[in-house]
Amino acid sequence: MTPAQIPLEAWLLFAAPVSAILFGFFVMRPLAPEKTHWPILLSCVIVTIASFRLALPVLMTGQSFDKNIWQWAVAGDWGVAFGLRVDGPGMAVLTMVAFVGSLIHFYAASYMKGDPGFSRFFLVFHLFFLAMIGLLTSNNYVQLYLFWELVGLASYLLVGFWFHKESARKAALKAFLTNRVGDFGFLLALLFILSIFKTSHFNQIYFLVDKGFHLEALPVIGVLLLWAACAKSAQFPLYFWLPDAMEGPTPTSALMHAATMVTAGVFLLVRSWPLISAVEWLPHLIAAIGAFTAVGAALIACTKKDLKRILAYSTVSHLGLMMLALGLNQVGTAVFHLFTHGFFKATLFLCAGNIAHALHQSTANVDEVGGFRKAMPWTYACFLLAALSLAGVWPFAGFFSKDAILDAAWHHGGVYAFVGPLISTLSAFYIFRMFFLTFHGSRQEQKGLSAHPHEAGFGQVAPVLLLAIGALVVGPLRHGVTRLMFFGFQGLPTGWPGVSGTLNLPGEVFLPEFNWAVFALGTGMAALGAAGAYYLTMVDAGWDWRWRGGTVERVFESDFGWKKVVDAVVRGVVGFARFVGGVLDKTWWDGLIEGGASSARALSERLSFLSAGRLNDSLWWMAAGAALLLGRALR
Amino acid sequence: MSPLTSLWVLPLVGAAACLVVGRFGRTAARATALAFSVAHLALSLFVLKPFLASGGVGIVAVGGDRLAFGVSYLLAADGFSLSLIGLTAFLNLICILASWKLEVGSAYWANFLGLSSALCGVFLARDLFLFYVFWEATLIPMFFIIGLWGSSNRRHAAVKFFLFTFAGSVFMLLALLALVSAHHAATGIWTWDLHALIGTPMGAVGPWIFAGLLVGFGVKIPVVPLHTWLPDAHTEAPAAGSVMLAGVMLKMGLYGLIRVAFPLFPATAEAWAPWLAGLAALNAVYGALCAMAQTDLKRLIAYSSIAHLGFCLLGVLSRTSQGLTGGGLQMINHGLTTGALFLMVGFLYERSHKRGLSDFGGLAVRTPWLAFFFGFSTLASIGLPGLNGFVGEFMCLSGIAKSSVPLLAVPFFAVAGVIGVTLAAAYALPAYQAVFWAPEGEGSVSAHVPDLDAREKTILWVLSGLMLWIGLAPQAWLTLLEPSLRSLVR
Amino acid sequence: MNLVVWCVTGLLFAAGLAMTVLRRQLLAMLLGIELMVAAVNVALVHQACLLSDAQALAAVLLILAIAAAEAVVGLSLILRAFRSDRGIEAGGFTELHG
Repeated sequence: MTPAQIPLEAWLLFAAPVSAILFGFFVMRPLAPEKTHWPILLSCVIVTIASFRLALPVLMTGQSFDKNIWQWAVAGDWGVAFGLRVDGPGMAVLTMVAFVGSLIHFYAASYMKGDPGFSRFFLVFHLFFLAMIGLLTSNNYVQLYLFWELVGLASYLLVGFWFHKESARKAALKAFLTNRVGDFGFLLALLFILSIFKTSHFNQIYFLVDKGFHLEALPVIGVLLLWAACAKSAQFPLYFWLPDAMEGPTPTSALMHAATMVTAGVFLLVRSWPLISAVEWLPHLIAAIGAFTAVGAALIACTKKDLKRILAYSTVSHLGLMMLALGLNQVGTAVFHLFTHGFFKATLFLCAGNIAHALHQSTANVDEVGGFRKAMPWTYACFLLAALSLAGVWPFAGFFSKDAILDAAWHHGGVYAFVGPLISTLSAFYIFRMFFLTFHGSRQEQKGLSAHPHEAGFGQVAPVLLLAIGALVVGPLRHGVTRLMFFGFQGLPTGWPGVSGTLNLPGEVFLPEFNWAVFALGTGMAALGAAGAYYLTMVDAGWDWRWRGGTVERVFESDFGWKKVVDAVVRGVVGFARFVGGVLDKTWWDGLIEGGASSARALSERLSFLSAGRLNDSLWWMAAGAALLLGRALR
Repeated sequence: MSPLTSLWVLPLVGAAACLVVGRFGRTAARATALAFSVAHLALSLFVLKPFLASGGVGIVAVGGDRLAFGVSYLLAADGFSLSLIGLTAFLNLICILASWKLEVGSAYWANFLGLSSALCGVFLARDLFLFYVFWEATLIPMFFIIGLWGSSNRRHAAVKFFLFTFAGSVFMLLALLALVSAHHAATGIWTWDLHALIGTPMGAVGPWIFAGLLVGFGVKIPVVPLHTWLPDAHTEAPAAGSVMLAGVMLKMGLYGLIRVAFPLFPATAEAWAPWLAGLAALNAVYGALCAMAQTDLKRLIAYSSIAHLGFCLLGVLSRTSQGLTGGGLQMINHGLTTGALFLMVGFLYERSHKRGLSDFGGLAVRTPWLAFFFGFSTLASIGLPGLNGFVGEFMCLSGIAKSSVPLLAVPFFAVAGVIGVTLAAAYALPAYQAVFWAPEGEGSVSAHVPDLDAREKTILWVLSGLMLWIGLAPQAWLTLLEPSLRSLVR
Repeated sequence: MNLVVWCVTGLLFAAGLAMTVLRRQLLAMLLGIELMVAAVNVALVHQACLLSDAQALAAVLLILAIAAAEAVVGLSLILRAFRSDRGIEAGGFTELHG
């Protein structure tokens, strides 16, 4: 396929955001900064339409393409080219990212109105959007890494958007550095991939792995990629940047830290699936990490007071679920959960944004809210829809994706069969705790009603409503999304080792459609969780404030101690750097060299008595010298 | 006059002209300097053009008869040296433009042009005696630039810089003398011509000569035990001086390694490569750790230079085409990126006479353009993909991961390199935040810092544009460097 | 050469050297130098007589002339030093100190 045959929509995917950003930076920002969002919103619409038009052929006929567009760097027999890959997994996630992202852009136009950094916000926000598009359509690991880092940069700039706040600055730094630590794994994996496979293009690597080449290198590469994914998708041990990243404006949290950026890690693993599934124990490791993180984060989410942080830990937990699904060889299910999660989590974040906006703050605490359902009916309705979706209640979208994961876990047996229902309970608990406390609660500790909130404007309600409806209706798309996964590993014969016969994803175990036992268990546990939340917030209303203030709270505050470990490590590294830079280099080593120089000078000063300018001494020396020479001459 | 000779003579004439014209006033002097540097850049691009087309393989030589002791006037150029000459001329022009508003005498401009001339001579010389003469000649203008127009501790820094690098070069001189006599012992001919000396059988004295060359070049690179002149020199030099120092003079060491040391001693180089790679990895990590501890902006950037050159050295040692070309490209990248950073710190210092991290704050609001460009260059420096730093670092690390030199492909060096990349963000971003994002503290001088003017913005747009171009489409630059570098190490 | 002449010449030379090196006064140093020259002259004259060497005698005359010129220069320098604040002690001249 020549560059000329690449469809217009694919060009537009990049051309629209790039031109919007350039136009916004060079024209709108100096002239009319408060209107910077116009070209950008237009670009969002174009990108969304283009992504749908690109996805449809892939879905219907499996027609995907992967084309190199230009040679980035070539030296000898080493070379990297950049290109475009439009295939199933990419399009599945891209359509969600484009649609949800565009709605959040529209939301942000109202939310960020009046902020002095409005123009800067939109430019960086759209840069992130562009980077995400690039990440999803990359056709090789190097290009993916490029957009991966660019996404991290956008995250840094947006988390630190209100940089006059020290908490924001620290959070931004934490986010970027943690992702950099994860990128240590990615970069190293890249180097190994290039040196072993001699190419970084997905097509060629899939082919080589399928043929059985270089299988002994895959464990190392797989673990390194997993390390990178754990950082980006906030899994244990590198998840701790995500809750603090809530310092950024709510549209940021909604788009990046719920729907899109954090899913990049999962996406990387999906792209690398042929490599990972070729290693016997690696999927088990992924499942274990996912399950552990999911349960831990869900537990912590039940105890948080800040609304956005509850949602942040919830995101970590759901990413854990996605990892669990991957680890159980259910790639399609994982991607579909990614898809539905984008909808309901974004809705929840934007509702939290509306609440905070109503209180004229950047975030809200359970102490400041309560009984908002009458004052903010639209937000109330959207939140309820999204909460039911998150809890996995039929017929909401979240049910379809969660049920599939529970199904897989149940079939796998072991500890995961227990973990699945536990997560259902906990998810329902924390989200309904948040729901009841915010919209129904009327405790005296809560100051909500006295704050006289009012419903947000049209620009902030309409996008949320659309997203909430999405969280309700996209369930049936499960078949489409799972089917799209088949068209992601072109170059592989169908009938991957382990599965034969039907058109199956590498490693995917085909499950029967509906398991009543799992349905009952999942819904039952969710109902249990919701009931528990109702009891502990409405019936025994003081419980949420009573249990605090002791060791138990401190344990939860420090994420079961992990935050303390991380702080200690960071302090250790910084202390070591101070030692190396200050003491070792300056005092010891440079001191040694400067000491050499100053002792040379001291020696010369000591010996200066030899040439003190006294005439008689010079004459002594002359006489002595002459005598010596005479002695030599006479010998 | 051959174009190669005029490449180093033109700036020298310019230096003399500046001194003469300086009698007629400061404006005349700086205008002369500007004119000559523009002419020099144009000339270097003009000589470069045939190489871009042919892929940089041709070698143009100016020969001469032997003078005395086998010394002759021999110049040669290929894509690699011409790219470094282009960098020199370009950075020289940038330095002159950046210093335009300074109240300095004509000697300032003359020193920069003289430095440019000596640097071009180093990159052109094929006769090793000529090489040594030009090598030492670069120290003189730099000594004056640091010592006369630097900041408060300039005398000490200038003397330290001169003596330290001079001491290293003495080892190089001894090694060269030994080399030439070994050649004479073997063939009966006295010659200092590099091409004739390649392949001399050297016996037991070979490793010693190589060690001497390594010390001489290693001080300039700088390799970690021999690096302590660099922070002081960079910190005390005036902004433009730091740009030339970091941008070009540090590349002399690597150039010498690639051009002189490795072709003369291929076997020894391969045998010693693991140790040298260990030192290079140490550079990358140690430089980053030291940078994390700094509170002076310029010192921080100086230590980051040490780290970056560690990557270059890793790439050069790998003897793979991507490693070498990556190293060569990273030399140019580092010149542009660190040059931009030093320029901007210089702008800050000019306006406020402070460069500590805690002396500023809130500059993102007061000086948005400076914040933008500084952020852009910082990101390029820490290797953000899409900008130039990433291409070079990635190719160097890729080379070392895949090297065919025994023991080098052991993952240790690649891992150390990647640790260096990871740590880069740890020193650069907190510094950026402290200067630009944090609120103004007590004693902050941010109120004295106006935003960039048109001249400064133009310089930075050009530099940033180059960074973006090299980052997104490096292939054009690689075709210039690759053939000549490949032929040097086969 | 006669032992006596050797001793005399040697003693004269040693005395002159001692005077030059040990004395502080410039005039005394000059006298010491003249003594050394005289000692050399004596040795040369004796040599000339012993070996009937006319060249030695010519050398003596040359040395006498040069010694005279040197005495003139030295004395005028000492006179300058005496007239100025520096004095005629060797301690007054320390510009060559390191």
